[in-house]
Amino acid sequence: MEETRIGVYVCWCGTNIAKMVDVEDVAKEVAKLPNVAIAKDYKYMCSDPGQDLIIQDIKEHKLDRIVVSACSPRIHELTFRKALENAGLNPYMFEMANIREHDSWVHTDRAEATEKAKALISGAINRVKWHESLDKRSVDVHPATLIIGGGISGISAAIEIADSGKKVFLIEKTDALGGTAAKLDLTFPYMYSAQQMIQPKIKKTNNHENIEILFNSELKDLSGYIGNFEAEVNQNGKEIKIEFGNIIIATGLKPFNPSVIDNYGYGKLPNVITSLEFEEMLKSGNILTKEGREPDNIAIIHCVGSRNQDFHEYCSRNCCMTALKFSNQISSALPNSNIYQAYADMRAFGKGCEELYTKTSRKNVIFLMFDQKNGMPTVKKAGPKDKCEMLIEMDEKLSGENVEVPADMVILMVGVEKQEKAKEVGQTVGISLCGNSFYIEKHPKLDPVATTTDGVYVVGSCQSPKDIPDSISQVNAAAARILATINKGSVTVEVTTAEVNEDMCCGCQTCISVCPYTAISFDEEKKVSIVNEVLCKGCGTCGSACPTGAIKSKHFTDQQILSQIEGLMFKSFELQEV
Amino acid sequence: MSQRVNLDLKQDLIQFGVEDWNECFHCGNCTATCPLTNDGSLFPRKAIRQAQMGLKDSLSANVDPWLCYYCGDCTESCPRDANPGELMMSLRRYLTSVYDWTGLSKLFYTKHWFEIIAVFVLAIVVGLLFSVFNPNQIVYELNAQGGVQINKMFPIHYVHLGDIIMAIIVAFLLISNIFNMWYKTILKLKVKVPFIAYITSIFSLIFHFGTQAKFSKCDTKGKRYWGSHFLLMTGYTIMFILVVAFLPNFQTEKIHEWYHPQRILGYYATFGLLFGLIVMFIGRFRKSSEKFKFSHLSDWLFIIMLFLTTLTGILVHFFRIGGMVDATYWSYVIHLAILVPMICIEVPFSKWSHLAYRPFAIYFDALKKAALAKQYKSKLATAA
Repeated sequence: MEETRIGVYVCWCGTNIAKMVDVEDVAKEVAKLPNVAIAKDYKYMCSDPGQDLIIQDIKEHKLDRIVVSACSPRIHELTFRKALENAGLNPYMFEMANIREHDSWVHTDRAEATEKAKALISGAINRVKWHESLDKRSVDVHPATLIIGGGISGISAAIEIADSGKKVFLIEKTDALGGTAAKLDLTFPYMYSAQQMIQPKIKKTNNHENIEILFNSELKDLSGYIGNFEAEVNQNGKEIKIEFGNIIIATGLKPFNPSVIDNYGYGKLPNVITSLEFEEMLKSGNILTKEGREPDNIAIIHCVGSRNQDFHEYCSRNCCMTALKFSNQISSALPNSNIYQAYADMRAFGKGCEELYTKTSRKNVIFLMFDQKNGMPTVKKAGPKDKCEMLIEMDEKLSGENVEVPADMVILMVGVEKQEKAKEVGQTVGISLCGNSFYIEKHPKLDPVATTTDGVYVVGSCQSPKDIPDSISQVNAAAARILATINKGSVTVEVTTAEVNEDMCCGCQTCISVCPYTAISFDEEKKVSIVNEVLCKGCGTCGSACPTGAIKSKHFTDQQILSQIEGLMFKSFELQEV
Repeated sequence: MSQRVNLDLKQDLIQFGVEDWNECFHCGNCTATCPLTNDGSLFPRKAIRQAQMGLKDSLSANVDPWLCYYCGDCTESCPRDANPGELMMSLRRYLTSVYDWTGLSKLFYTKHWFEIIAVFVLAIVVGLLFSVFNPNQIVYELNAQGGVQINKMFPIHYVHLGDIIMAIIVAFLLISNIFNMWYKTILKLKVKVPFIAYITSIFSLIFHFGTQAKFSKCDTKGKRYWGSHFLLMTGYTIMFILVVAFLPNFQTEKIHEWYHPQRILGYYATFGLLFGLIVMFIGRFRKSSEKFKFSHLSDWLFIIMLFLTTLTGILVHFFRIGGMVDATYWSYVIHLAILVPMICIEVPFSKWSHLAYRPFAIYFDALKKAALAKQYKSKLATAA
């Protein structure tokens, strides 16, 4: 330990840090700490000259560990690790002290903030002393891909990957491809025929030499890790085993069942139908009531099951525009009819959608606003004098009036829900559901395609309600990722994993029950736990749960963390004396 | 009671003017920019909504359109080009037809030929009336004597009698329509107006009738339109009073000196009328501001007839001073042939009815607010 030479760099971050922290003083003070060979301050450490400064110092002063005190490691840890690598040091011989988010941005007293910065850096210096060199590892990738779900997302992904000459297994729980998109007539906002878009794709998928479709099938069991998965598929009671390197989940959506909302009378009043039932009607070419009559008044109720605390809080994303599409289609088919849109909020974002709204508002359509919380519309049967089948009573929000709307047909714009077996599929594959029961992506903004399990991707409405173009974008992103890994032939996996000291392991298997990535298995012969380093994400849950201390989390060892705390405490005591 | 949403009303309303108000998606910009709207009356947005939804009862009970003087700020700030200003104008026409129990107003507003034919028929009747009196005889006699004797041509007691009969008929129609307005906006809704408010609000009724003070607030462009409108309104009122109430003093055989009050008043009225009308003509031709961009037939007819009446009046005056017997006679006949249909059609059934509906709308609005205030007070009292 005596020869350890640490370089400390204090960043100004322009004025972000320097305004609240006396960076020059900090650099001077920390230079006095043991093992610190050199301490400098600089305007922007993350800039090229800043990084060059580190590289040059490592070579000149023979530094073997580096501490940068700047912003959050989430932003620049990788930047500085790369700099270390360029200077010939192991990238894990590095620690960052966050004196911006944790210090200068949140404090108002310059003296105290300066002391805190010293404490944070002292902790980082203590920690970095115990850092060990870690090596990157890689695994080979099986060139086949498994796709779960044969809707528009699933088949688009299958075609995308299969066209590149790679094998695809496509599991579909029903006996036909197409999913929800195949049930649609026209699509918003440009009124393209869904059938004309999807049927050629279905045909291509069915005849593709690289695609093996398993109809009436469900995923039963999955084992392995990125690049090397193995699955058991149940096809009509028959077990099939397949091997592949990546998985795309495209299980899609389930329409909300509106019969649970009493107000709307679905299932009781014959002419109250769902949006998907109306799509069927449009596909057949006749808009007729159950009595076989052309309706004069058609009411469309939005947000059925969506944006309502009692059902689903989220917006189902497609219904507003589908309702506008319906208005246009009804308007063309029955130009003399009156169309009433009972809506809670009109959401017309996206390409061509506001234009569709504007266009529709010029037709024989009236938009009536209701309040989801206190003013749900009520559909009831009309009396003989009313000259219509049903009456919808509602408090119209924009006029402030209580009104009744005549209707011969009521279309309920049903929301989007998770598939019934979404949870089971998620458990089998090793990914979780969010509060709304859609699959959680790796990062909501920066990586909405991958999941926390490497090699598993989510596309389409199983990740969140989506329209066709958004689903296809996600499909293509996932396909590109998968093809890239297949093309590379191998993938690097996380090295900050857990490690079991077999001598100390008592075989209690506590770690197996707490691991969120099913990365730990039990060696029955040796009676010890074994960590699969490919599956392990280094979250540290097992390490903290282990009663004997047999599990070590690499790069987060007890010693590293305890000395960091010691470093922090040492400084704070000094602060108390001040 | 819930009202039925009625999309057919839209077709009805289109006949009264604009048709693009359905573009409105209720952002409220119009209400925010309106210089006249306040806590109690949220126009024009509220009326637009009632029109969109076809809430006939709410619309008939709404006096907001009359409180608008059409500065056009709302139309300029509308992001959807829904033209709220012109909708308020169209609603004024619609409401005129709602208050008019005879149904003639709706016919005149919606069937343009009907209004033009009615004007011509009345004009011909008036013209014929003077032919039956065998005027040529009088005119020949006067020509021989070499002078204009206005009271011989148009015996004052007959003309005055006709005047008064016309005034009574028009007043009866207008007042009965105002009663209808009162019924639709106050009585039918069972608004509990405190009786004292009926009396205390009369002052503002008279004040606004005489000054159009609200118009001056609305006219953000330097009170230009308020000024010319005020000139026109006072000119017209003076002339109307002179001709209807004081005809025996106005139509005298003796031509007074130019500084005589009768002539001074007459000249002021003529100037006011001409000035106001010219501003309106130029505005409507050039479409210089929002308020003049859309001209319904009733708008044109109103200023054309008033202009012709004024012009023929001026001609009568100068022909008479010039001693031209034939010209005086026929210009007087034409003057009457335009004036009579103008008053009989425009005042109770068309654009001119606003002279009564506007101040009464302010009056009824004040009554409604008084009722609301009382209701609020009693609510507070019971709560306490």
